[in-house]
Amino acid sequence: MTSNWEHTLLGPVAALGERVFTILPNVLAMIILLLVGLGVAWGMGHLTERLLRVIGLDRLCDRIGIAAAMLRGGIKSDPSYIIGRITYWLIVIFATTASLGALDVAPINQAAHSLLSYIPHLVTAAVIGIIGYLVSNFVSQAVLIAAVNAGLPPARWIAAGTRWGIQLLTVAMALEQLGIAQHIVVVGFGITWGGLVLAAALALGLGGKDLAKDFLERRLAGHSRSPINEDLRHL
Amino acid sequence: MNNSSIPLTPETEELLGAVRSADILVGIPSFNNAGTIGHVVRAVGAGLAKYFHGHRAVLVNADGGSTDDTPAIVAHTMVDLEPLFISDRQSTLHRIVTPYHGIPGKGSAFRTIFEVARRLKVKACAVVDSDVRSITPEWMELLLHPIIKEGYDYVAPYYRRHKYDGTITNSIAYPLTRALYGQEVRQPIGGDFGFTGELAQHYLEKHVWESDVARFGIDIWMTTEAITSGAKVCQSFLGAKIHDPKDPAADLSSMLRQVVGALFALMEAHASSWMSVTDSRKVPLFGFQYEVGVEPVNVNVERMVDLFHLGLTDLRDIWARILSEDALDQLSRLREVPIRDFRIPDSLWAKIIYDAALAHHRSVLPQEHLLKALTPLYLGKTASFVLDSQGLTTAEAEHLIEALCRTFEKQKEYLVTRWPQSHDAREVIGAAHARPERSQP
Repeated sequence: MTSNWEHTLLGPVAALGERVFTILPNVLAMIILLLVGLGVAWGMGHLTERLLRVIGLDRLCDRIGIAAAMLRGGIKSDPSYIIGRITYWLIVIFATTASLGALDVAPINQAAHSLLSYIPHLVTAAVIGIIGYLVSNFVSQAVLIAAVNAGLPPARWIAAGTRWGIQLLTVAMALEQLGIAQHIVVVGFGITWGGLVLAAALALGLGGKDLAKDFLERRLAGHSRSPINEDLRHL
Repeated sequence: MNNSSIPLTPETEELLGAVRSADILVGIPSFNNAGTIGHVVRAVGAGLAKYFHGHRAVLVNADGGSTDDTPAIVAHTMVDLEPLFISDRQSTLHRIVTPYHGIPGKGSAFRTIFEVARRLKVKACAVVDSDVRSITPEWMELLLHPIIKEGYDYVAPYYRRHKYDGTITNSIAYPLTRALYGQEVRQPIGGDFGFTGELAQHYLEKHVWESDVARFGIDIWMTTEAITSGAKVCQSFLGAKIHDPKDPAADLSSMLRQVVGALFALMEAHASSWMSVTDSRKVPLFGFQYEVGVEPVNVNVERMVDLFHLGLTDLRDIWARILSEDALDQLSRLREVPIRDFRIPDSLWAKIIYDAALAHHRSVLPQEHLLKALTPLYLGKTASFVLDSQGLTTAEAEHLIEALCRTFEKQKEYLVTRWPQSHDAREVIGAAHARPERSQP
């Protein structure tokens, strides 16, 4: 009778204790991985920030207009600080995923695996986004200066068109990397770009045919005409 | 020191082997100059025969791949000395016609000419533009005599030019060079120079041939290097300078970028040379000066002012990163001014150029963008000069340029105090003021 009672009452407790003892090393491993990961993330984040400051990333961003654009967008932190923080959070995500994997629970493992396999796409999309943004700023500034020097009154519009064109292309490429509505992005981009080209062709054909004629004549006939004055010799 | 030689074609090597050595070298860079180079070759040949008979002379044409007959014209142009009363017809003028390597441009052509000068161990060199219509045999004497007989190392040209000819020289190159290095070289980017063989060797040893120096920056670079290397500099009066427009393919903003880019790069390289200079001194001028008739120059002021206004509207954000707040405010006030009253005062212009030099020094923008964004400002200043000098003779307009130069000198402290980052500029200025003033020649 006593034995039955013992079996009935203490059996589940023993089983639970056995389970706890089985999972405890995994939990400990998870905690250790998480703590180490947080430490590495903190260290790498600071190291990255320091390194970028030393190589003069902030100065470079200032030169190519990123700092000004960030300020306009309400971001007051330095690019070095932001990249340091991004590094920190990427390592934290990685460490958290790895530590959850240490629990060895099938659904969590599957989710962690999916998350990990998505990270390269996320990083690639972020790199595409950053490079696209930098290139769009640089090129639109160059186009603006060239258009002003050529005496084209819609210089600002031409530069803005260049910026948005490049940024549109960047977004399309980044979304494709992320696997978000791939077909819609490609079709949407094709329609938008095709529309822009058609609009530009119509605008030039209808409104600027003299300009186009003059340009082609100069190009094909080899006539070079100073946009300012033929007689003024600057050197 | 760079002792590696510049590659030359086998034909050129063969010619150099045949000539072996020379006393004088005259270099002519060219690119599609068939219309004018024959005259230049005749003038050089006659000048050398008339003034330097008995000297071994070589004419070097460094060509950038002309598709017209330029090299053939150089090789075959005959110089008839009889009508020029030149008795010495024995001296041979060796001619070397060679292509040059490197970035296409005048500077790369000069590099090949310097290399030939080094190989032939010449004592004196002269370079003349291939598009000059007003060159005479006397130019050879004026460019080479100070080197051979007077002990000078570098001869800069001094021309009579139309008041609106050479506007980059008048508004930027001359005032800035004079204020920085303290020598009044009136045509620092003239294009026709004389110099010693040693100076040619000095030029070759510099690693600048992948920069703007390889293009239109070569002239200001040669003059500045000569001054800062301690060379003895003088000027020679060459009369009128009548030439074809510069490289027709080059647009204004590219020319401006190359010249101003070279000027600013030289400021970086020679900061220790110019920081302590507080005044300027006259540079000896050789030659008999006379007045000449110059070709009229048509100027479209309205177009230039329009371009300035376009820049003021569309490039304002970029200018705000280059210019000081005060300079930008002053420029903004010009927006409402009617064309007849449009003026960019000398003090504002000096500040703009100094601000641009400082912005270049601090790398606040990509170099190309910074330099090209100056084009509307330069056109504004040119329009302002044209309006100021309306009705003035060229000699009277020269007074305006002199006033601009003095303003650049007066405001130089603005540049010096903002330039250094690692040490206190006041020490530099203090040391400069403590120095005795240089005597005027």
